[in-house]
Amino acid sequence: MTIATSIATSAVPEPRRFQLSEAVTGWLLMVPALALLLALTLYPVLYGAWLSFFAKHSFFPEQNWVGLSNYVYILQDGEFWASVWRGTVYSVTTIVLQIILGLAAALVLNEMFPGRNLLRAIVIFPYVVPTVVAVILWKWLLNSQFGLVNCMLEDAGLIDRPISWMGRDWIMISLILVSVWQFFPFVVIGVLARLQSIPNELYEAATVDGAGAWHRFWHVTLPQLKSVLFVIVLLRSIWMFTKFDTPWLMIQGGGAETYIRTLPVYTYMRTFAFYEAGKGAAMAMLMFLMLAAASAIYFRVWKREENL
Amino acid sequence: MNATSLLSPRNIPLYVAALALLVFTTFPFLWMASTAFKVSNEIFATPPTLIPRTYTLANLERLFAETRFLTYFLNSLKVSFSTVALTLAVATPAAYSLTRYRFAGREAVAATVLFAYMFAPIMIIIPFYVMMRFIGLNNTHFGLVLAYSAFCLPFALWMLRTFFQSIPFDIEQAAMIDGASRRQVIQYVVLPLALPGVVATGIFTFILAWNDYIFARVLLSADELKTLPVGIADLYNASVVDWGMIMAAGLLVIAPVLLVFVFIQKYMVAGLASGGVKG
Repeated sequence: MTIATSIATSAVPEPRRFQLSEAVTGWLLMVPALALLLALTLYPVLYGAWLSFFAKHSFFPEQNWVGLSNYVYILQDGEFWASVWRGTVYSVTTIVLQIILGLAAALVLNEMFPGRNLLRAIVIFPYVVPTVVAVILWKWLLNSQFGLVNCMLEDAGLIDRPISWMGRDWIMISLILVSVWQFFPFVVIGVLARLQSIPNELYEAATVDGAGAWHRFWHVTLPQLKSVLFVIVLLRSIWMFTKFDTPWLMIQGGGAETYIRTLPVYTYMRTFAFYEAGKGAAMAMLMFLMLAAASAIYFRVWKREENL
Repeated sequence: MNATSLLSPRNIPLYVAALALLVFTTFPFLWMASTAFKVSNEIFATPPTLIPRTYTLANLERLFAETRFLTYFLNSLKVSFSTVALTLAVATPAAYSLTRYRFAGREAVAATVLFAYMFAPIMIIIPFYVMMRFIGLNNTHFGLVLAYSAFCLPFALWMLRTFFQSIPFDIEQAAMIDGASRRQVIQYVVLPLALPGVVATGIFTFILAWNDYIFARVLLSADELKTLPVGIADLYNASVVDWGMIMAAGLLVIAPVLLVFVFIQKYMVAGLASGGVKG
């Protein structure tokens, strides 16, 4: 009995004496997962770094060591910098809009109203459908001749002539619209989970102190959401800056492709349209380095904020 | 909250906002469904009709008769279910080990998993493709399943770990004190308790494999091996777009995902909140 209580009350699971093989069993259970992870994720990352020093055709096995010349070539390539710029515009705009929309939606879904639980589930839909469906769906809605959006805008008297949404002037805006629609639910879910765990007493205390709705949001809700927003912004930044399929599929079948050729799209084209695997790998490495640098700065700024 | 306060004018802005949210998220899908069942001249009619005046299944018929949609669909099912099986078989013991066993390097493993979670496909697809070509697994479903499993593993491990952590270790210890072996404890105590978590993780893995475009695009070249996202993208790019048919295809592609949603939305929301599905 005493043994039982002592085991039951120990907070951390302790290895049991008769299990000499605790560590061995633990490792054995890890091995398959670790092997898969090392062989198919971490090895390719390292191999990609290695590949970036070679001139290599994407299909043929021959490769020649070229040192840093892939990097030199890319850093002097105007299209590379243009694609970095487009990718930055794309990710910053979509992230800001996702956060605003996601935050607003989460606040709505945190209130009490009939059908709330159903709406909570429905809001996630855009996030879990295949990108190809999301893109084609919006291409149909935004179709310049027969699209519903142009039709509605014309009926409302907001435009005289149909907007060419996939044309050079509008395609970036269309891409941002589709992406925000597709990815804002991620923000909703994260924020909503956190909102539900904010103790009600905080709001009651603020109300007693005479705080209005806006005040409560600014001084109670937002500070509580700070840490979850930090993680959301980090993850969304990484994933939007490396987003390939949405811009790539938007490009298909249109003439304005250069206007949304973001860094991931250009990297893909280098490798699978120009067949320059070495240069493609170098671009992927540069993408990684840019993200690592941005994340480091982000963490540092956050730390400083925390200390204030 | 009682009925009178629900109807009070103070709540009107809330309802308007909720309605706007509902329309914003669902309307595109409704429009897709509407187009999928319209005859072709109604698809291009002005003014457009939300509810079709005449319903037709012609779009669906063309999809199955004139394209390889069924093949793509079956390929997608095969690849997605295999991915779920492999991912869960590998991730469940590993997640259990991460929460229940103490061994040197455990924290390092957890950190590696979290690091891998942040990787986007575009950052590894090039070396991955060269590798797969080298070992001859490009243009096979097996290669694709391996790719998906590796890609899903980090979040699967992370999610399962959260679920295992929520099962009190006391229960296991109590069973062991009653004379159960570790294997019996896992079989009769841990797995039944962790089942909702395993199911949720499986669903997210399925969705990721079902939705993926880039790995399938790069790894598969034979038309008869293609999965739905690639097949549909090619269908769209083929020639003049047959909107009715494409919308019918879209509807069938999202059907399994939406079905899953309707049945187990509770797990879905909990799973998403703990970090499932990246994208």
